[in-house]
Amino acid sequence: MTEVLFALSIGILFGIGVFQLLRRDLIKAAIGFAILFSAINLFFVAAGAFEGDFAPYVSNVEAGRQTSDPLIQALILTAIVVSFGSFSLVLGFVNIISRRYDTVDSDDINKLKH
Amino acid sequence: MELALFTAVPFCLALLLATPFVRTTLNKLSQTTLTALVFAALFAWLIGMLPRVQEAGAISQTIVWIPSAGISLSFYLDGLALLFGLIITGIGALIFFYSGFYFEDAKEHNRFIIWLAAFAGAMLAVVLSGNVLMMFIAWELTSITSFILIGFKGAEDAAARHGAFKALFVTGAGALALIVGLVMLSAAAGQILHPQQEIRFVGDFPSILQATTLHQHEWYLLFVLLILIGGFTKSAQFPFHFWLPGAMSAPTPASAYLHSATMVKAGIYLFARLSPVLYLNELWTSSLLTVGLVTMLVGAYFAVKQRDLKGLLAYSTVSKLGAIVALIGLPNQSGLKAAFVAIIAHALYKSALFLVAGTIDHATGTRSIDRLGGLRGKMPVIFWVTVISALSMAGLPFLLGFLAKETLLDAMLHYTDPWTQLVMIMVFVSTAFTAMAAYMLIYDVFLGRPRELLQIHQPSAWIGLGPALLAAGSLCLGLLLEPLLVPLLELAVPKSFELHLFVGFNDVFLLSVLILLAGFLLFLVRRSLIRHITFPLSGDTIYREFISYVEWAGTTILHAQSGFVRYYLVIILGAVAAVLILSGTLSDVVAGQQIIPPDPSVSITDLAKVFMLFLTVAAGLLTIFVREHVKAAIAYGVIGYAIGVIFLINRAPDVALVQLLVETMATVLIIIMLGRIRADARLKVINSLWTGRHDYRFGLLRDLGISIVIGLAVFVFSLNALQNRPDRHSIAEWHLANAKTVNTDDVVGAIVADFRGTDTLLEVAVFTTAALGVLTLLARGGQRRGSLAPRRAQVGVLHEFDASVVEEIQDATSLSTPFTRSVSFIVLPVAILIGVAQVLYGGSGPGDGFTAGVTIGLAVSLWYVVLGYNEAKKLLPWFRPALIVRLGLVIAIANALFPLLIGHGFMGHVEFDQALGIYDIVGSFGLHITSSLIFEVAIAIAVMGGLGIIIEAIAYPTDRSHDGFEGAVS
Repeated sequence: MTEVLFALSIGILFGIGVFQLLRRDLIKAAIGFAILFSAINLFFVAAGAFEGDFAPYVSNVEAGRQTSDPLIQALILTAIVVSFGSFSLVLGFVNIISRRYDTVDSDDINKLKH
Repeated sequence: MELALFTAVPFCLALLLATPFVRTTLNKLSQTTLTALVFAALFAWLIGMLPRVQEAGAISQTIVWIPSAGISLSFYLDGLALLFGLIITGIGALIFFYSGFYFEDAKEHNRFIIWLAAFAGAMLAVVLSGNVLMMFIAWELTSITSFILIGFKGAEDAAARHGAFKALFVTGAGALALIVGLVMLSAAAGQILHPQQEIRFVGDFPSILQATTLHQHEWYLLFVLLILIGGFTKSAQFPFHFWLPGAMSAPTPASAYLHSATMVKAGIYLFARLSPVLYLNELWTSSLLTVGLVTMLVGAYFAVKQRDLKGLLAYSTVSKLGAIVALIGLPNQSGLKAAFVAIIAHALYKSALFLVAGTIDHATGTRSIDRLGGLRGKMPVIFWVTVISALSMAGLPFLLGFLAKETLLDAMLHYTDPWTQLVMIMVFVSTAFTAMAAYMLIYDVFLGRPRELLQIHQPSAWIGLGPALLAAGSLCLGLLLEPLLVPLLELAVPKSFELHLFVGFNDVFLLSVLILLAGFLLFLVRRSLIRHITFPLSGDTIYREFISYVEWAGTTILHAQSGFVRYYLVIILGAVAAVLILSGTLSDVVAGQQIIPPDPSVSITDLAKVFMLFLTVAAGLLTIFVREHVKAAIAYGVIGYAIGVIFLINRAPDVALVQLLVETMATVLIIIMLGRIRADARLKVINSLWTGRHDYRFGLLRDLGISIVIGLAVFVFSLNALQNRPDRHSIAEWHLANAKTVNTDDVVGAIVADFRGTDTLLEVAVFTTAALGVLTLLARGGQRRGSLAPRRAQVGVLHEFDASVVEEIQDATSLSTPFTRSVSFIVLPVAILIGVAQVLYGGSGPGDGFTAGVTIGLAVSLWYVVLGYNEAKKLLPWFRPALIVRLGLVIAIANALFPLLIGHGFMGHVEFDQALGIYDIVGSFGLHITSSLIFEVAIAIAVMGGLGIIIEAIAYPTDRSHDGFEGAVS
């Protein structure tokens, strides 16, 4: 049951992110970019090889308890950090564009041709 | 090892010359002396290697580089490499000395010799490498350094730019053919040498030379053609010869060195190198012979037409290169001796003549033969250098050039073939034209009456030393055959030979004298002759046609560009959506999907998850519909937090902590940034989101359609992936079982800091690089450039808004109240304490270096938000992000490298407390001092610094005078 709902939420969030990227507002596009990252992280957490009722600690393992998948968590940890780095870069771009072109409307920026 | 060090010397010299220390403290004279002496020392060292090469035949040295791919740095010094090495270093020393007096400007001189030294290193690497791949890399390096040297004056000279590009284009295209040819050759050699084994690729020259049946291999035709194209383009053979005259825009020392003595001989070196295994097939010999002879004729014919001294020398170089290629192509390698003599003779006289041309240019300001004349009295040393070198080029008896011509004629006369007569005619005509060019150099420039009054600016007398030594070489080497030249050639030529300067009045001598006379006759009728020299089609025309087609294609494609950023994205994503629909991938997956009936039993935790998912989707939709950016940012924060809670429910406390911290940080960043964008600009875009252009409805439907298709595809993909995920077959099991071996309770922490530590190291590097990117963007990219910024009239919409609305929006991001100020003061020390605790006890609980860094970074960013850039900077003098980042990275790298010193692998696990005997003491505090702990500390420091850089860059005050509104945060 939760799998279907997870997949649905991931799909909707992804669609929202893409839609924001396609619109004219650069600030909302940046937020849409971040929503794409969130959707991917959400996918990772749902995609663990196994689930458990305890955090992946050695003490839990030794007590014979079923823990959650630690590998996928380590991957998400890395993904969060890197996506935050690139998100701040995107914010920097938006900032620079607003300063240089005096606008945050992407349709006012048509200088890519030259 | 010594060969590797030897090759590295010129590169190190180039680096040394580029350091600010050398540029400021050493003057031009000392730099000249230094470079000349270094190359003289390299020359002497090579001479010293002569007995060892004589004894061993060849010296081969290998440094393992990428053993898994079978690639190594291997060096191979045999007679052939030694011969070329001596030319590169010996002539190099003289060229470096000459450059010191050729360039007036010290800065220009320094820039020139840096690149010249780098070229020399690359060229030495070409001839000394024992591996085809390494040779190829060096080969490309020579093309690139040559490009830079030809375009040395490119900033002000369009011809230099075109010449440089043309040379790079032709040699680069040839190199593409060459690499394919070399790889095929190596694969063929691998098949021959190891028919039964797995090794399929033998790239080192000594082994290739043992594959004696290469000429029967089925790929022979293909790889020989490719290698020939590579060599022909590099050595300026017809029809690719046209780049060499174009390369004459280079400063003359570079022309003398690269484009006559060394680089253009790289192709010849390659032919000579591979000749022993390839010559048994007629394709190889006849191609080399034909192309070489045609080049020889074309070059000599065009040389006499040139009015530019350097142009004349360039075409005569083309001609001589053709002669050498033809000699290598003679059957049974019978021309090799003559080829090597020609290489030496040509290097000596042609670089001397180039240096003469440079000196004349330097003294008179012109290189045009029509304007020059009567320079004999003004420049006596240069005159005699020219006489000796030009006559050596013509082949006057008992100069070195005479020997070269004798051996050439001798080799050609012994070539018995139906075409012999034609070959002899071609050789005769081209050498006669060469003699004519030589007479012209002497008479028209130095003896004939000057056609106009030339202003002579007398250069330093030292400028003549290099050319004089080269001329002395042309004069004496022919007479000193036995002690100097013969031992060297004996090493380079595979079969025994005899070499005598004068063998008697035989047919060869007679022919030689006839050529000199014919050249003289041509010289007498030169004025009427030159007028008739034309050639219908040259490679240059084809090249120009080609380039114009490329430019035409470029302009045509440019018409399809709208210039609007958003439409590019629409096209890209729209194409993705179209492919998804058209290919039927989507429907296939849906059709093939095994829908597992949903499990009706729902637990409490599942309900909580469902609620959080609902929250993310709702907040996501909210970001679309809200009309204030601040609210969109906060809605985004809600998504992040909801996902954080899902992590928590899924028993991932570490990830949840990081997620909550990072999302907070991201939301704060968005809000800081909002305060720095003009409110009216923001308002304008919000107001025009749903209305605006006349076709907005279509645009809305289009964007909606694309998003829905992509969202649907992601949904189907994730559903497929989530329902079919592997059950309990993952390395995660191993991680769970082995985390205790690295003294960590938290398995996720163990994976991040230990098992996959290299990933984390790279991740921190990526993060800090992104931070530096933000800094660079905001520090450097902020200036409005006239051409880039649109005119204000286009976007100036201020009057549309009520001032109070604008102010209200601006205020929404202002956070400086007495309450927030005191909160931020209290939060920072607490955050630092939490950070320290997270680092130290991250092994046994949630939190690690990264969360520690973000926690402290968040507290600092609170100061920037509340107090503004200037005040925060004043109150936190110790917070210097750039230094902190460097400290973190240095600790991380040192910690990663340390295990190598004590025999573990890179980033190996080291237990410092055990080694130091303090295990029990620190253990009583619940601590384990291991390399993982130090790594976590380094991560915390680096992340804190990286965040600091980002915050400072984004919070840095903008130029108020332009913005009109005061940034809310300050």
